Amino acid sequence: MFNGFKGVLYRELSVFRTRAKKQILASSLSPLLYLIAFGWSFGKGVSVDGLPYITFLIPGLITMSSLNQSYGIAQELNITRFYFHVFDEFLIAPISHTEIVLGEAAYGMFKGLLSTILIFVYALLFGVKLIFNPIFFLAILLHTFLFAALGITIAMIVRDHGTQAMVNTFVITPMIFLSGTFFPVDKLPYIFKVLVYALPLTYSTKVIRASLTGGEINPVFVSLIVMFAALFFYTALWAVRRVEA
Amino acid sequence: MKNSTVEDKTALNVEGLVKKYGKEKALKGVSFKIEGGDFLGLLGPNGAGKTTTIKILTGLTKLTEGGVYYYGRDFSSHPGEAKRVIGMVPQQSNLDRDLTAFQNLYLHTILHGIPKPLRKEKIDEALEFAGLREYRDRQVKTFSGGMRRRLVIVRALLHEPRILFLDEPTVGLDPQIRRTLWEFILKVNQVKGTAILLTTHYIEEAEKLCGRVLIINRGRIIAEGPPDDLKKDIGGYVLEIFLEDRIEEEFFSSREDALERLKEYDHSCKVREVTLEDVFLKLTGRRINV
Repeated sequence: MFNGFKGVLYRELSVFRTRAKKQILASSLSPLLYLIAFGWSFGKGVSVDGLPYITFLIPGLITMSSLNQSYGIAQELNITRFYFHVFDEFLIAPISHTEIVLGEAAYGMFKGLLSTILIFVYALLFGVKLIFNPIFFLAILLHTFLFAALGITIAMIVRDHGTQAMVNTFVITPMIFLSGTFFPVDKLPYIFKVLVYALPLTYSTKVIRASLTGGEINPVFVSLIVMFAALFFYTALWAVRRVEA
Repeated sequence: MKNSTVEDKTALNVEGLVKKYGKEKALKGVSFKIEGGDFLGLLGPNGAGKTTTIKILTGLTKLTEGGVYYYGRDFSSHPGEAKRVIGMVPQQSNLDRDLTAFQNLYLHTILHGIPKPLRKEKIDEALEFAGLREYRDRQVKTFSGGMRRRLVIVRALLHEPRILFLDEPTVGLDPQIRRTLWEFILKVNQVKGTAILLTTHYIEEAEKLCGRVLIINRGRIIAEGPPDDLKKDIGGYVLEIFLEDRIEEEFFSSREDALERLKEYDHSCKVREVTLEDVFLKLTGRRINV
């Protein structure tokens, strides 16, 4: 049972282990820079939505960094698929597509959670006080799952590395900057507000921020995250099936 | 899908495979059978449809029309069962270079549901068979081309498939390594009794290894049989006449007949035994570019 899930996860974690140090080190730098530049220097004495800016920023860095890591499996899948052709080894095995998707998604979640822990360490070092609501754990699991599933979808649809890079530039980066990670989306001009409320990151950032800063959690936002997760799980499955056409 | 009417013991029955990519037809009705223990070669120039055929037979690509039956069971409706009896060695050695030989094989044992207590033993056996025992815990990126090929082949054999697909197994290897690999592949067929379908565009390779050859050209099988029979069919001996602008070939069933005909020419001529390449050329009018 679950041979496919276990196999895929075994492969991804074994490969990850060979470059864990480099990867963790590389992924730890950019949130630190954001913290120093915006949280520490620029944000000193600034308060947003009634919170010190650095407290406002930490949950945003968590969603940004874990998104980068979870969605980032797309890049690895691309290499696996186009360059090493290891993905064929999954497709030839007597395992289901669902297991392949869940195995890859679990790996994406693992990476996302690892970077989340890292941000908590930073929060501790910078003396940022957080108030944990148990909803946080649900929200971060859904958040990392949905972006891992989105990563799988994109990696399976694109035909080469170049297209993959383009999706990152035109979809992922703007989403990260506009979806309330660094400033409240309510400050955006109307047109952009419409746009960001169509993006899943807006909701996961709102819920995760509320669950860490003692804010009120909007159940509508939580259900929207669940819906996005279900949607991207479905698209990932569809995209993996499509590879065999 | 209808069920195959063939008896269950036919390991693989391929009926009228058609594959369309857009409007282009890569395969135009390919049919053949593999019996248990067969060594079948699929020979043809690049782009003839060899890899497409193998991809369909292993489930990497969907067919447009036709049927594939493993031991009488329809592949498209029972892919899980079929995938347990087949093994696949793709054209590129799709190993994880950063992982060790052991880890690469271990992944395969998980994916194919080999019970945990048996895994280590099977992997050690496989490494022994491939002559890679000392390299068990080395990263694959340190391996030579020949070692990688052997590792991919024993990996495909870990779940003891009854049919093994080898897609251009010796492409890009040195002549010496190619020869040792040939011996290795023959050992798989003879010692393990695994039926093999090998695609190649090296005529020598098909001639050396395969009990039966299918010649495929432009998506169609144009000849089928043991290499010797195919050669006999066109004559067995060839007279090459070196004209100013081209070489003309005439085929004869005996050396004597060929020598008799030779006397009628003033040009320089050569009599030699027919090769599989002559068969291919006669049938297709295309030279296989090596």
